[in-house]
Amino acid sequence: MVSTAYLIAATVGLTLVTIATRSSFFMLPARIELPAGVERALRYAPACALTAIIAQGVLAREQQPYVNVHNYEMWAILAAAVVFAKTRNMVAMMVVGMAVFTALRLAF
Amino acid sequence: MHRLAIFRGLLPPIDRPAYSEGVRAMAPLTIAIAVWGLVTGVAMVNSGLSIPMALLMTFTVFAGSAQLAVLPLLATSAPLPVVWVTALLVNLRFVIFAAASRKAFVMLPWQQRMLAGYLNGDLGFALFSRRFADDPERGHPIQWGYFYGGAVVNWVAWMGSSVVGIFLGGLAPTDWGLELGAYLALLAVLIPMVHRLPVVAGVLVTGVISVTTVNFPLRLGLLLAVLAGVAVAVGVENLRPSGTPHGVAAVAADITDEGEVV
Repeated sequence: MVSTAYLIAATVGLTLVTIATRSSFFMLPARIELPAGVERALRYAPACALTAIIAQGVLAREQQPYVNVHNYEMWAILAAAVVFAKTRNMVAMMVVGMAVFTALRLAF
Repeated sequence: MHRLAIFRGLLPPIDRPAYSEGVRAMAPLTIAIAVWGLVTGVAMVNSGLSIPMALLMTFTVFAGSAQLAVLPLLATSAPLPVVWVTALLVNLRFVIFAAASRKAFVMLPWQQRMLAGYLNGDLGFALFSRRFADDPERGHPIQWGYFYGGAVVNWVAWMGSSVVGIFLGGLAPTDWGLELGAYLALLAVLIPMVHRLPVVAGVLVTGVISVTTVNFPLRLGLLLAVLAGVAVAVGVENLRPSGTPHGVAAVAADITDEGEVV
């Protein structure tokens, strides 16, 4: 069981992270600009971080890689990715992803 | 009116018609926001947060992708610095958004800047920067009105749907795969970012490394995978720098894939 004190500390830190990133350049003096090198790293970090979280969540089980045909979540994510890339419709993507997962789960 | 005095110090002067315009611009996006909020609310409770704890997180953190990203970490009591760094990495896009839209806010008192920044999420930023892309004037009540019109609709839609999700979360059986919904929601943020060769290369490298290092202690595999992915993306960009937009405004538009918002 995760302790309440741990979760409160986590939440306080996460709130500070939100403020520090969203308000960052609103608070800094106007003469401070984003250096070009930092800008390039910042532009790629969020996409990579989201990828790592999704990949570890969907392509791993119990701290081990889990990439095989029985990984229904993997097929659901792939189907949803195709739908979203084609339509940019979030609701359609969610419905397809959950439908593929549920269909595979009930069929096998 | 005296009850509103506390807000007056936090809000810049607002043009009413521009505020209404901001409301109308955000209104069609409330369905997508509500789906997101619902998924996030359900995911928080399903990952083991109590209802009061999930409500606390919703009303303070106010960053759906970061909340969803750290839930698997919180569920396993990962070290707090790992939790915070993960959220920071996901949120770094907001630093670019802030740099790109600061000129409309820099002249305001600090508390007004801080609140506006806190509310400057993906959709609000995308709408605001598109609406005022050709406006040479810096910071006026029409801009602030439009910004807050969108921000209020976004906040209400997000909080309302999150709270509904939190109270529904405990009701569904766990084998429905609702945790998949959290990953699907993150996918919706990720995909619009991945439309250029450097980021495609970075994402592929990150994906492979993150899965092969998933057993590393303290979830260090995640950090390692992100660092490697960013390095590869920057390396690929160096091969053909002319094909990539530069300057904060262009980079921000590139990240949000602005043309695709609605």
